[in-house]
Amino acid sequence: MNETLNTIIKARRKRRNRYVSVTIILAIITIGLCCTMMMLGNTIYPVTDVIHVLLGETIPGASFAINEIRLPRTVAGLFAGFAFGAGGYIFQTMLRNPLANPNVIGITTGSSAAAVFCIIVLHTSSTVVSLAAVIGGLVTVGIIYGLSRGTSFAIGRLILIGIGIQAMLNAVISYLMLIGKTNDLSNALRWLSGSLNGAELEMTYPLIIAVVIVTPVLIYFAKQLEMLELGEQAATSLGVNTNKTRVILMISAVLIIALATATTGPIAFVAFLAGPIAQRLVGVGFSNILPAGLIGVILVLGGDLIGQFAFETRFPVGVITGIIGAPYLIYLLIRINRKGDI
Amino acid sequence: MTTHTFETKNIQSGYDNKTILNDVNLSIPSNQISIIIGANGCGKSTLLKTMARLIKPTGGDVLLDGKSIHKMAPKQLAKVLGLLPQSPIVPEGITVADLVGRGRFPHQSVMKGWSKKDYEAVAEALEMMNITEFADRNIDELSGGQRQRVWIAMALAQQTDILFLDEPTTYLDITYQVEILDLLTDLNKKYGTTIVMVLHDINLSARYADYLFTVKNGQLIAEGAPTEIITADLIKETFQLDCQVINDPVSNTPLIVPIGRHHA
Repeated sequence: MNETLNTIIKARRKRRNRYVSVTIILAIITIGLCCTMMMLGNTIYPVTDVIHVLLGETIPGASFAINEIRLPRTVAGLFAGFAFGAGGYIFQTMLRNPLANPNVIGITTGSSAAAVFCIIVLHTSSTVVSLAAVIGGLVTVGIIYGLSRGTSFAIGRLILIGIGIQAMLNAVISYLMLIGKTNDLSNALRWLSGSLNGAELEMTYPLIIAVVIVTPVLIYFAKQLEMLELGEQAATSLGVNTNKTRVILMISAVLIIALATATTGPIAFVAFLAGPIAQRLVGVGFSNILPAGLIGVILVLGGDLIGQFAFETRFPVGVITGIIGAPYLIYLLIRINRKGDI
Repeated sequence: MTTHTFETKNIQSGYDNKTILNDVNLSIPSNQISIIIGANGCGKSTLLKTMARLIKPTGGDVLLDGKSIHKMAPKQLAKVLGLLPQSPIVPEGITVADLVGRGRFPHQSVMKGWSKKDYEAVAEALEMMNITEFADRNIDELSGGQRQRVWIAMALAQQTDILFLDEPTTYLDITYQVEILDLLTDLNKKYGTTIVMVLHDINLSARYADYLFTVKNGQLIAEGAPTEIITADLIKETFQLDCQVINDPVSNTPLIVPIGRHHA
């Protein structure tokens, strides 16, 4: 008995340590990337200047570049990355399928379609565009969830309906792009590829507030989420109110993802990649919401730095994450195809 | 040893608009092993799921100690009543000890870590199911019989007084079937756990059950100790099968010998 007890305690402690150290390392990388984002640009400013400016001092040149351009860019990347990473992980875990993420099942497409409609047809202000993106995302999820409910909840059905809805919304977007006026198109296009360009601090407030409120909720429900992984029946018999848990987690995840999409546009594949990478680094057995969120930040900020400085032309971050993510999607599809389940 | 009363009162249950169970009244004997048998599609699994609150009955109620299980807080109920579903899902890459540990969920509060009691319950469950050596192994590496022992260990770690199992021996070869049923009997003897399960094998049911429930077309047609109720007539009525009932020389319980068309 004692020997067994020690084995279990030791194994658990080992994984706990791994979880904590990986999370700390990810947090350090995140901070490093944030600093780099603040320092790099047309002019490179030393850390001391950055800190002085952030503390409110005025340094000619540096103040404008940091306060007006780099800070909003970094903040938008930080919170959107976290939202995509954590939200994507919630979906993948809850639906027990790596394909089940906001990009693939069409939530971000719903947000994009609503935003593009506002830009091209209604010519509304950017605040309204953001609001419409959030509503578009939530409505899309509502429709997908409603249609896939049927008699009992089936994950395969949800994914397939999501892909179908996404195709329809993409058609809508293509149509809007065709009828749009030239000067609206660049605005809409920026929106579709996902970019931190032109981020404004005021625009990120709703996202920041949502992430700050939603993250504790997600962490609170992390254990229920672990139980849900065992399947509907096992989770119920362990005392989880499965419907309530699923609805709360889904609304929370959609809310932060839709707001992130409203802020930066759909940054391709971040929500898709963050969960599996976190799982690889931390291992299974614990909830990986925090690490997944941090990986999301690292992907977005790292991708943006690469997009800004690695090439002659500046690419928006969505292009870079797309290049990283697409091969993984193909790999996953091949693997799922071999196993024969969706 | 804790005793409980567990009854169904006129339950009606099914899927969508299709009623499968009709007006079932039964009372599960406390601290004993009950087995539900019946032909495919007769509603035995629906009955088990309705009793284990996986399906909400459309009529009637399921009562634990006189209280409706649907009015109890899910976590409180999960401390008393456990269920091992027929095909639970293994999270990819999880270790045996971790999976068994998930059985502790109803006993843990959200923010607190693992208590000494949690570790002890898991260790005890692993030892009882003889899977200590696999504790750190990935579940994907185990055989079907070993995996089933892991799932039962998870249900044990939950430490409920009542345990439901939905066909715990399906897909296992005969050696593992007997092994699982022996382990469940150990559990019943050691802790007085009330066990209710659905089984396909009539002869193993007759051997391991203290009490049998026979279901046909969504209704209970016979119940009682195997020696008292199993007759050729009952088997004919339940399964549409001609058979002879003889004495099981090992356990002194009824043993049915099917007849079929080519032998007489």
